[in-house]
Amino acid sequence: MKHKSTAITVTSGKGGVGKSTTVASVGLALAQLGRSVCVMDTDIGLRKLDLMLGLENRIVYDLVDVIEGTSKLRQSLVRHKEFDNLALLPAAQTRYKEEVTPAQVKQLVDELREEFEFILIDSPAGIEGGFRNAIAPADRAILVVNPEIPSVRDSDRVIGLLESANLDHIDLVVNRVQPGMVKDGDMLSVERVQNHLAINLLGIVPEDRRIIRSSNTGEPVVLDDKSMAGRAFNNIARRINGEEVPYLELEETSLINRIKRIFHIA
Amino acid sequence: MVFLNMFNKDKERPTAATADDRLSLVLSYQRSDIDERKLKKFQGRLIELCDEFGYDVVGQVEIRPQSRQRDNTTVLNASIPVRLRDSEDEKRAGS
Repeated sequence: MKHKSTAITVTSGKGGVGKSTTVASVGLALAQLGRSVCVMDTDIGLRKLDLMLGLENRIVYDLVDVIEGTSKLRQSLVRHKEFDNLALLPAAQTRYKEEVTPAQVKQLVDELREEFEFILIDSPAGIEGGFRNAIAPADRAILVVNPEIPSVRDSDRVIGLLESANLDHIDLVVNRVQPGMVKDGDMLSVERVQNHLAINLLGIVPEDRRIIRSSNTGEPVVLDDKSMAGRAFNNIARRINGEEVPYLELEETSLINRIKRIFHIA
Repeated sequence: MVFLNMFNKDKERPTAATADDRLSLVLSYQRSDIDERKLKKFQGRLIELCDEFGYDVVGQVEIRPQSRQRDNTTVLNASIPVRLRDSEDEKRAGS
């Protein structure tokens, strides 16, 4: 039976805001919800998704190999160790973004649509060729933003580029939010970021030290019950899956957290 | 003297008081695609216009684009400190 397939490009403009973390976490969370998911790394030359998912040792062929016809699509897909319904299409590590065109990526995603319900595309930073490759096949986009001016300005520019590419379904994920800093007026609030960018809010992810550990161990934080960021990414996946989920309460209300903040150990 | 100047040095004024104001300003510039040369030329024209209407510009002319979300337009706010020119001054300027 043919299913409806959705290609979602995760982008930002600015680098280091958490695009790959979002793709790996949301991809795995959707797989946990029973959906068939392919996460696709389009950051040719600087791949990361394989590390985020702990699959770096299983890569034989990559995206460029499929496009050049060196391998078949099935041969290049790397299945997740625990969740067979999650696959990674890795980027080439020793090639250049310019070797692939938007039309080729679009054709590749059309092939993936035959098998997967969700295709999450990890876009490279910047707004050059790699970005254009990543948005070409997308039905919708997720914009990952940190609550800081450089990130919001870049995102505003990216929204303009997405709209001019006729990609109108754009959702916002505000990542690395620190409620304490927002409360002290040292960080932009999620509300202000959303007001400035004027797009739909899909999720709020708090700053979480467990993210660093997860990218080092190759186990996305959605597998960690104690991680607030993991819970936030799970909620994002559920919203993409069509559920109505309230946003996480990020206020630091416990006495322990307040004491930790006072002594700078939070 | 050099040591004293370190404390006396005129600090450049911040472009906005809060992060939110600064973001508004930054986005306005980006959205209106205003380049600095164009803005300088605009400032010059405003000074000429003030002169034509009998005003002396007595301070820094500031033009701040602001984005208005309700209709997605840019509003140019110009701040022009002026003094009405005396009729004596005008006569002298005319002669």
